[in-house]
Amino acid sequence: MSEAAGDHAALEVVDLHKSFGEVEVIRGVSMSAHKGDVISILGASGSGKSTFLRCINLLEIPTSGDVFVAGEKIRMMTNSRGRYQPEDIHQVERLRARLGMVFQSFNLWSHMTVIENVIEAPVHVLKIPKAEAVEQAEALLQKVGILERKDYYPAQLSGGQQQRVAIARGLAMNPEVMLFDEPTSALDPELVGEVLKVMRDLADEGRTMLVVTHEMGFARDVSSEVVFLHEGKVEEQGEPRQMFTDPNSDRFRQFLSRTMQ
Amino acid sequence: MAESIVKFLETWSPIDIVLIAQNFDRFLWGALTTLELTIISLLVGGILSIPLAIIRAGNNKILNAPVWLFTYVFRGTPLLVQTYLIYYGLGQFEWIRETFLWGPVLSQAWYCALIAFSLNTAAYTAELLRGSIVNTSRGEIEAAKACGFSRAMRMRRIVLPSAFRRALPAYSNEVIFMLHGSVVASTITIQDLLGVGRWLNGRYYLAYEGFITAAVLYFIIVLLVSRGFRLWEKHWLAHLYPQDAVKTKPKKGLASFRI
Repeated sequence: MSEAAGDHAALEVVDLHKSFGEVEVIRGVSMSAHKGDVISILGASGSGKSTFLRCINLLEIPTSGDVFVAGEKIRMMTNSRGRYQPEDIHQVERLRARLGMVFQSFNLWSHMTVIENVIEAPVHVLKIPKAEAVEQAEALLQKVGILERKDYYPAQLSGGQQQRVAIARGLAMNPEVMLFDEPTSALDPELVGEVLKVMRDLADEGRTMLVVTHEMGFARDVSSEVVFLHEGKVEEQGEPRQMFTDPNSDRFRQFLSRTMQ
Repeated sequence: MAESIVKFLETWSPIDIVLIAQNFDRFLWGALTTLELTIISLLVGGILSIPLAIIRAGNNKILNAPVWLFTYVFRGTPLLVQTYLIYYGLGQFEWIRETFLWGPVLSQAWYCALIAFSLNTAAYTAELLRGSIVNTSRGEIEAAKACGFSRAMRMRRIVLPSAFRRALPAYSNEVIFMLHGSVVASTITIQDLLGVGRWLNGRYYLAYEGFITAAVLYFIIVLLVSRGFRLWEKHWLAHLYPQDAVKTKPKKGLASFRI
């Protein structure tokens, strides 16, 4: 803990395992994201990529392994029934607030307007004064191009608009890392572009991002690193251009030929 | 002219309207008592129902069992029986008559009715709200978790506000049931709206006059209540009606930004 904050990875995951009952879905995955990294996590469905992302902020409790957020380890323990669980839920809550998350199905709070969705966590978790939160939220909504709908309810917006609001909601916490869990998979094809554009802008301004995605174009052109998961393990990882033009593993080659056609 | 109308009413009208008019202030007082009992018991029962619903929606078995029993007993037995048990039953116990609560509260019919009604509506509302809490979108709860909300904060900021809104249409029925159920008060000496009708019947042996007047007044109250709920739903449930909302307008007159 004596190191300067700058020396830490923004996010580090060490040897993460996760089982659902007898089935081991994640079988020892490690990953680290430094400030400004954009890591795309690819894999066939069932490869465990969403589960991996959800284990990072403990929406799923891993079976073993460690997660460090800006150098701080999420303290875990084994309880009396032999289950791995967080030692201190308050620490988990504090660190979750430093990881923004964007879900496949948006998950905006349906009873709140767009602006209320964006200021909710800054005001009630970070305890930022409301006026300040509103000002910041309006800037973010402007950035994702949806400020003029700030008083609409989520159900009054298209999927693409809702997802952009969800991104603004994540950014409002000013997180170390943004986690994207298949952010465009639930969208109509013509709406995918507007969300990807916002994500591209975020990457350009140096946000640290972990993106679980099926968008091969985004993975190839925007990310600084690609991780390919297969059956709960890292099958291949590396610099995107190199991986896409000359994959090392047969599995990734097959995956590419299936998805790029 | 006026004389002939009075004469007609006195001699030919099938219902003794003059008698009703003469006693109309009693009916209004009765209506006031009905409203008072209903509103206060809805408030007390409503407040009680929130923690009960949270317990019922949770998975703490030790807390859940007694609350389950409470809601099932109060929903499984008639309100009249519950009121009798409290009004006539409690007085049988010497030790209850000796508590400080006896004189000012438990020996008074009005309070007994209030207690019975409050517990009854608490049981119904708790189950209603439990269903609504349980049906809260899992994704919305996860989003709150991911933002660092604590459990209590998620309940207070996300789950309950959303559950209250979704429970509103069903709750308006509960309010009307409670209003109708409050006639039970008239059986334990309280002069509520029906009580006045019964009094008129007992005094003049005229059934229609008292009961029809009471019925009409109940009907008007229910009409106003359901109107009120309709307006409330429109305001509070706007987020659930995407089509409608686009056709009309978003919150706070942003009409100029419509597509």
